[in-house]
Amino acid sequence: MITITIDGKKISFERPVTILDAARAAGIHIPTLCHHDILKPYGGCRLCLVEVEKVPKLQTACSQYVSDGMVVRTETEKVVDARRAVLEFLLINHPLDCPHCDKAGECELQDLAAKYGPAMGRFAEGKRRYPENLEDPLIVRNRERCILCLRCVRMCDDVQGASALSVTGRGSKSYIEPFSGGAYDCEYCGNCLAVCPVGAITSRTHRHGFRPWLMEKEVETVCSYCGVGCSLVLQVRNNSVVRSVPRSGLGLNRGLLCSKGRFGYDCLNYGDRLDAPLMRRNGVLERVTWTEAINCIADRMKEIKRENGSDAIAGIVSGRCTNEDAYVFQKFFRGAIGTNNIDSVAGMAYGPAQRFFEKILVQGVTANPIQGISDSDGIFVIGGDPTAINPVLGLQVRSASKKGVPVIVVGHPGGLKRYSKRAFIMNSAAETVFLAALVDEIKRRRPLPGERPVLEEIINGFRPAPLEDASKMSGFGPNDLVDTAHALSNMSRPSIIIGRDIVQTDTGHMNLLFLAALTYLLNGRIYLLSELPNEQGVLDMGCQPDMLPSGRPLTVETFRKRCEETLGIIIPPAPGLSYAEMTEAAHEGRIKALYVMGEDMVLGLPDSNYVRGALRNIEFLVVQDRFFTETAKYADVVLPALSWAEKEGSYTNLERRIQLTRKAVEGESIEEWKVISEISKTFGLHMGYRSAADIFSEIARVSQIYRELTLEGIADGKSVWPYRGGPLRYDMHTEGTKLPDIVSVMEESGMSGVHVRREAHLFHSQNASRYSPALLSITPEPHLKIGDILADRLSVKDGDRVKVSTDAGSIVLSARRDPCLPDNVVLASTFDGGGIFEITKWRVNPITKAPASDVNGVVIDKEEAITVLHKDRADSLVGG
Amino acid sequence: MALDNKILDEINELKRKYEDERSCLLPALYLFQREYGWLSPEALERVAEILNIPKATVKGVSTFYAMFSHKPMGRHLIQLCTNVACMIMGGERLLDILKGRYGLEPNLTTPDRRFSLVIMECIGACDTAPAMLVDTDLHGNLTEENIIGILERYE
Amino acid sequence: MNSRESVLLKNADRPGPAGIDEYGEWGGYRSLHKALSMEPGQVLDEVKKSGLRGRGGAGFPTGMKWSFAVADPQTQKYLLCNADEGEPGTFKDRIIIEKNPHLLIEGMVISAYAVGAASGYIYLRGEYPKAKDILLRAIKEAYEKNYLGDSILGKGVVFHLHIHCGAGAYICGEETALIESLEGKRGQPRIKPPFPVNEGFSSKPTVVNNVETLANIPYILEIGGDEYAKIGSPECPGLKLFSVSGHVKRPGVYELPMGVTLREIIYTHCGGIRGDRKLKGVIPGGVSTPVLLPDTIDCPMDFFHLGKVGSMLGSGAVIVFDETVDMVKVCLRITKFFEHESCGKCTPCREGVSWLRAVLERMSNGSGRGGDKDLLTEVSNNIAGKTFCPLGENAAAAVQSFVNNFGDEFKEKIKSG
Repeated sequence: MITITIDGKKISFERPVTILDAARAAGIHIPTLCHHDILKPYGGCRLCLVEVEKVPKLQTACSQYVSDGMVVRTETEKVVDARRAVLEFLLINHPLDCPHCDKAGECELQDLAAKYGPAMGRFAEGKRRYPENLEDPLIVRNRERCILCLRCVRMCDDVQGASALSVTGRGSKSYIEPFSGGAYDCEYCGNCLAVCPVGAITSRTHRHGFRPWLMEKEVETVCSYCGVGCSLVLQVRNNSVVRSVPRSGLGLNRGLLCSKGRFGYDCLNYGDRLDAPLMRRNGVLERVTWTEAINCIADRMKEIKRENGSDAIAGIVSGRCTNEDAYVFQKFFRGAIGTNNIDSVAGMAYGPAQRFFEKILVQGVTANPIQGISDSDGIFVIGGDPTAINPVLGLQVRSASKKGVPVIVVGHPGGLKRYSKRAFIMNSAAETVFLAALVDEIKRRRPLPGERPVLEEIINGFRPAPLEDASKMSGFGPNDLVDTAHALSNMSRPSIIIGRDIVQTDTGHMNLLFLAALTYLLNGRIYLLSELPNEQGVLDMGCQPDMLPSGRPLTVETFRKRCEETLGIIIPPAPGLSYAEMTEAAHEGRIKALYVMGEDMVLGLPDSNYVRGALRNIEFLVVQDRFFTETAKYADVVLPALSWAEKEGSYTNLERRIQLTRKAVEGESIEEWKVISEISKTFGLHMGYRSAADIFSEIARVSQIYRELTLEGIADGKSVWPYRGGPLRYDMHTEGTKLPDIVSVMEESGMSGVHVRREAHLFHSQNASRYSPALLSITPEPHLKIGDILADRLSVKDGDRVKVSTDAGSIVLSARRDPCLPDNVVLASTFDGGGIFEITKWRVNPITKAPASDVNGVVIDKEEAITVLHKDRADSLVGG
Repeated sequence: MALDNKILDEINELKRKYEDERSCLLPALYLFQREYGWLSPEALERVAEILNIPKATVKGVSTFYAMFSHKPMGRHLIQLCTNVACMIMGGERLLDILKGRYGLEPNLTTPDRRFSLVIMECIGACDTAPAMLVDTDLHGNLTEENIIGILERYE
Repeated sequence: MNSRESVLLKNADRPGPAGIDEYGEWGGYRSLHKALSMEPGQVLDEVKKSGLRGRGGAGFPTGMKWSFAVADPQTQKYLLCNADEGEPGTFKDRIIIEKNPHLLIEGMVISAYAVGAASGYIYLRGEYPKAKDILLRAIKEAYEKNYLGDSILGKGVVFHLHIHCGAGAYICGEETALIESLEGKRGQPRIKPPFPVNEGFSSKPTVVNNVETLANIPYILEIGGDEYAKIGSPECPGLKLFSVSGHVKRPGVYELPMGVTLREIIYTHCGGIRGDRKLKGVIPGGVSTPVLLPDTIDCPMDFFHLGKVGSMLGSGAVIVFDETVDMVKVCLRITKFFEHESCGKCTPCREGVSWLRAVLERMSNGSGRGGDKDLLTEVSNNIAGKTFCPLGENAAAAVQSFVNNFGDEFKEKIKSG
């Protein structure tokens, strides 16, 4: 026990803490500037100096730890004089331009100057003057206001791990800038501007837009961009969200955000929001009343149901829908339409992967806390870059790596480049062979636990490709493979992080099997990357063709009956179609009516032209969305939707934490669940919900997973798996888990030539980011990443336009050279229509039901004319 | 940037000296400066890539140290000391001589790229003050009379 | 010079460096043989008994520093030689390296053996390119003769030695900044604790010693710690190198016992003031140490006594000013130096020193304002006691000493403006 005296108060601690923390515990405020709770002590600003008895010099409270018997004084004359001196030093070169500084009102320096009195103004030397730097689209740097506390640089280095900012120069001539000195080449997490105590780093998105004290309200909610579910605070004025900020210590992100969470809120204020229902009359979409629209939907759906049967109708929900909207949607389809043709984007990878792992391992096997990643003793990443798909989860990987935890990546390392020991980039068939070889090598090194006989039979029985062949196919030496297997075998509690790309291939089911085996052999924890905020939730709500909202398979009669009794509806016994299957069926004319809630199918699925064809074939298409998406162009009825900030509801994140999303502003539409309830009424199914909480309480009644939960009760964000009980038990299926035939994969793959892999984009996320001017300003168009060898062969430089062609068509993308890539793999991003999905064919994987889209034999040509233009510009830049 | 394999070999050799590759940063910057005369943004990026260190970090480190130059330099670098011992022994007056003879001022390069001049903080030759380093050669006991003769040896 | 044969300055008056054979002829590496025949703890005891204090400036007892590192349970340890001799006025370490490099190498091997370090680096300032070449050759020789390597003298003792060049940053003479720099970072000092002896280079226990400190080690082993402790001042005994520059007749490095007076150095060893002018002031230990007036030159030069007259021994760099010197200009030049070398980490040093320079600059230009002298005092008081490391502290103390000792000259600068 350590007992110290601060300003006469005695206080004890179990462990040594800093004087600053000790003072806080004693209720004593010590001013600070360079200190920040997220960051390590720095001791640079010298504002927190205090007197420690028996120590001649003043000590910095932020960095000095207490020891037993220490006597500290925080407000003596000497201390106050020191603070005044430090503040004067900080202010002598400060421009004192508070009247037009965006930070005024929430500036820590301003507050301190107010408290300790203004400087006496005896500095007569002329302040340092530098122009404000406006070269970046999102972040403004003002060197005059900077106090060099280095919070931004420390944040960028130590927490974000992007290291895009540094101090240039030394001493009084030093200043903070990105490498270019102008625009940033960074992850745009904006955590630098969040920690800046002054107005040196500010956001352009609300420059001179408002004053902090004019904010009308602040609403704590959960981000709607990805499956991490970061907590954030929406600041509102005039019924408009003016800023989204994290709050230190709040939520699982603990004060951090990524680019989308911080800057992407501006899609809420995007000008072209749908604000009234539209109906196609004489081929043209016209504004109509809600009643007209709802009646039209009811009439046409009833007609199609009558003529073609219930299974000619299908519904797709977005992974951005709330649990409540998704639940009501599936209830309408099952209870009113009478079909199980319900799916979401989660059905394209996240869902099948989770299902697979739950079947052969245990239910809830993917429900692992994100914070646990940094505590694992090894990390295996495959199928996607966590720092781009789920950036705040990605930070955990970086943090582990900094502690020396080995990180092994199969696929492009992306934001883990400096944080991974090895990264193996290859084509998708080679990945399967590679995984099989790894499992084979590991099972020689690690005894089988003996817990799951079926799985062990597979692990023991499958015939891997000979090591030499696997290494030849993957392009890596046999030693690389053996060393990797060896490194993995040494892990006792690794995190296994899996992205969707490993699922969306012809061999996706085999990949999942090998990953299950790997998890089993290594005692791993699975993390499924999730590109949308509520993929888990829509699955839990039963927006799946074969699962009930109770969390049980509908093919099991007892489960189905129990669900029917609770809800008072009849549920068809046969499973419906998956998202990919529905698209195929629509293309073939088997689906006549489709209701799409919040999903832009043209963006969400590969082979955009094929999807367009499918949409064109649909007799009656309803699209409910915030924006007039490309899918909406094909619709017969378009219904305006509310954004997540305009309604109350809940999201379930990838670790299966259920979180409340709160209403921050009033929207110009009606909650989706209300609209669906109205349509449902015309079918004779009365839902009668008055609020999201009502719906949630029904979910809690029907769902064995969500049982006993309330919307109010989950508000603290602490509802984590398995909520109020153990995991459900149901029969372990081994369907699709038969012995994989690796040799045939090698023979049939025909993977020659250049292979395109999808790059999940850090700044973009399906159909939300394209309505965010801020995110578009960082990266306005998709691009192609190309390795040095291939680029040299084609004489392609950064920024050159290249034509990428497959048998499905051609697109032109801007090239970026990437030294990580081998010469047979290129990466292309998918956002905003023009990406690689335009030219990616697919077929349904019969086992996962997900679209398999392996693209090989791609032809890449440089677009000469445009290149020359660009070259001239580049030369003039170099010359200048 | 065309990079001769020599530097790459030397950097690989350097890596063996240290437990952590990050320690190679200063020596690697020296190698590039030796080869190209200064550290261009491209050189900093190349160092960053070779050592797998963020490029902003490399810039931050290299600009901290006074002996790394971030603009092109002349063929010969005059590092003239003007710290206390050299100053009181007449070091500052030598600046006028350099300006008069070559038009050379601190942190500038002669138009013919023959000389660049930087002012040094003590080069540890105070017993022979005033002193200067020309490239790696130390010249002490400089006078207004002898400095030009010394410099004229450098073409 | 006293009757003792030069130890640290052996070979100093000859043109080139001593090669390994020559060094051997003088009995070089004999102390290493002796040390390796002892237990590491016994070597440490000899150094403790010698009373040797660090020669870099801070004067911390060397044996005590070593014993902290020895006590740390981690097995991998480092020995770093601080050869970043940047203190203006100092050139003693350069002389040791350039004239007798094996003395340093022998000192390092013995020290590494005592503290249990298997590898070491000499952090050599970038401004010493010639010293680098000499050291490289000497290290190669030492490897060839098995004084460095995997089994030194065939006794299984491991020590590998490398050179790492600084690149023009005075602050890297501060040991934690030196370590940061060696790790490829901006050379800014670290928060202490943890101290380098527990968490230094690569987070391993690390002993950082100055060149001169390490060069004393072979001699201590040769004559024994007790005998060494009899040299010079009883409070801080031993041999000390003094770099003397400025207006003396014979500037240079002098090896003298600790406790010699400034008067002896200036008037006996250096032959007095050039042109027999009057002495105006003297900086006793490099520009980081407060300037002294002629009436204090009878003070013994050691860590203990100089503190009593308001200055410090520092690196033992004596800069002598005769009556012709403009002390405001000297003060300005020193302040410019500190401004240039301030790392920028802490506010008082970064902002305050720059402010002091600005005030001194206008005074020096003859445009000083009324109150400027007091302003210098107040600003330096506001820096003092609040900085992260001694650099800012020393900058403030230097200005204070000039203003206090040569106040009239500062006043004149205001009058004339």
